[in-house]
Amino acid sequence: MAWSIDDWPAPIALSVEEARKDFPILQRIVGDGKKLIYLDNAATTQKPQQVIDAMSDYYCNTNSNVHRAAHTLASEATIAYEESRLKLKHWFGATQSRLVFTSGTTEAINLAAHSWARTNLVKGDAIVLTEMEHHADIVPWQMLAKEKGVELRWTPFDLETFELDMEAFAIAVKGAKLVACVHTSNVLGVRNPIEEIIRLTHEAGAKLILDAAQAAPHDRLNFEGLGVDMLAISAHKMGGPTGIGALLINESTFQQMEPFMGGGDMIREVYLDYSTYQENEHMLEAGTPKIAEAIGWGAAIDWMAQWDIESVHQHGLYLAQKTVAGLRKISGMRIFGRHAKGDGAVVSFLHDTLHANDLAAFLDARGFAIRTGHHCAQPLLRKFNIAATNRVSYWLYNTEHEVDEFIAATTEVCKKFA
Amino acid sequence: MATIEWPEELLEIIDDFAAAFDSSERYEMLFELADDVDELPLSEWTSSTKVHGCQSEAHVLACLNVDGSFHLKGAADSKLVQGLISITATALEGLSLTEVAIFPPTYVEEMGLKDALSPSRANGFLNMFKKVQHEAALLGD
Repeated sequence: MAWSIDDWPAPIALSVEEARKDFPILQRIVGDGKKLIYLDNAATTQKPQQVIDAMSDYYCNTNSNVHRAAHTLASEATIAYEESRLKLKHWFGATQSRLVFTSGTTEAINLAAHSWARTNLVKGDAIVLTEMEHHADIVPWQMLAKEKGVELRWTPFDLETFELDMEAFAIAVKGAKLVACVHTSNVLGVRNPIEEIIRLTHEAGAKLILDAAQAAPHDRLNFEGLGVDMLAISAHKMGGPTGIGALLINESTFQQMEPFMGGGDMIREVYLDYSTYQENEHMLEAGTPKIAEAIGWGAAIDWMAQWDIESVHQHGLYLAQKTVAGLRKISGMRIFGRHAKGDGAVVSFLHDTLHANDLAAFLDARGFAIRTGHHCAQPLLRKFNIAATNRVSYWLYNTEHEVDEFIAATTEVCKKFA
Repeated sequence: MATIEWPEELLEIIDDFAAAFDSSERYEMLFELADDVDELPLSEWTSSTKVHGCQSEAHVLACLNVDGSFHLKGAADSKLVQGLISITATALEGLSLTEVAIFPPTYVEEMGLKDALSPSRANGFLNMFKKVQHEAALLGD
């Protein structure tokens, strides 16, 4: 029987204890017998058993290529693949829009650059970006700028408040054709004023693409409600598998897009001297698609649908704020971000004298998985005149006790080695 | 595999590390060894002393003692990385340039450090070690 939105139960408030039971990896012992405390969720989240089972079941019982073939397995695989697309459209409030599967957020932004911007921008046009962007939302535009002679305008952010300079944005967006902006910073956790950015962008007659990779784990986003033109997301940062993401596209923008890659699923008819293309999302999904991954992502959305998303957001924010309070008590510790309502559950920090790599190594030896480095946001870090930070990031299965243990271990290491 | 006969001072370090309780203790020992290196002052960090492919800013300078034997100066902003440079300096101290050229980097494995080093850090160590051997070879030219 086909999936319907009624299959999702009424969401209940998050129970961390119940949620944790579905993640076998959280029981892992690492290194010299230390219990794993996984605090690197902004890089990738762990996967619930339901996602692992869905992908395993697909390969055990259904594996087949989708579309076109006239046999039972192909039909079942096609239904499951397209059902996942439908689930995602419902989840993100995009039922009247297009959802193109990509390999992740990076490919989604590259797809927007190749399929929309390359076709619709000409020499002298401008794209507005922010200094908060992930490299995935910088480099594709630099490549396009070089190829097409397009101007890139940068919106700065304040080093004290960690907020975008919206006055500068309002000036930069005038006459621009596209705005590419991160919804929630993967380094600072700051949620940008998306509603104002959308309003100013559309008043200027420009289109907006949002990098929502860090927002999706704790926000359903409501693509059509927000009125965004394009939105890029990854499955693996919200309980789904790696290797798949999506670009959500509103209909008017989709109609202006040209195919990026040719072959496979995107064609309608091929002749020796020309080809015609599919008119739906398949036009932008060349080759055999990510079938098992799409099914796994659909299972992740089913799993997420049991929890009230606002309670998921509140839980992550509470853990982040508790972390900040604990880290502030450590002498010489610098914290990046404001950790206000709406922000992601991400805390970047750096000790004055203990190198980020050394702190991470000492914590790793104690079982803590944290991230260290430039977080693919070198221009952002350069603004602070630093090359790296440490970063902890939470998801719905992290506990208050884990935060306490992390703070205790970090305090101990800093006291001993800083 | 034949057992390698390590220089005596390196062997002592290897034995200490092998006897450590866990990787926490090994990191602690590495951290302390960082202070033992003949430290290359920040003012002498240049593009030619820089170790590429290392997550931290690490620098090494191959030198000769008055008797013509090998001596290594080094430093890094990460003390754990500087600890690895320090051990390497101890391992190679006083060897001939020919001996440096054929010295195996496998002492980190015997110290139980390779498992504790993430792949990127392990690559950084090998990059550092190869640079030291390369610089040593240039001294002999």
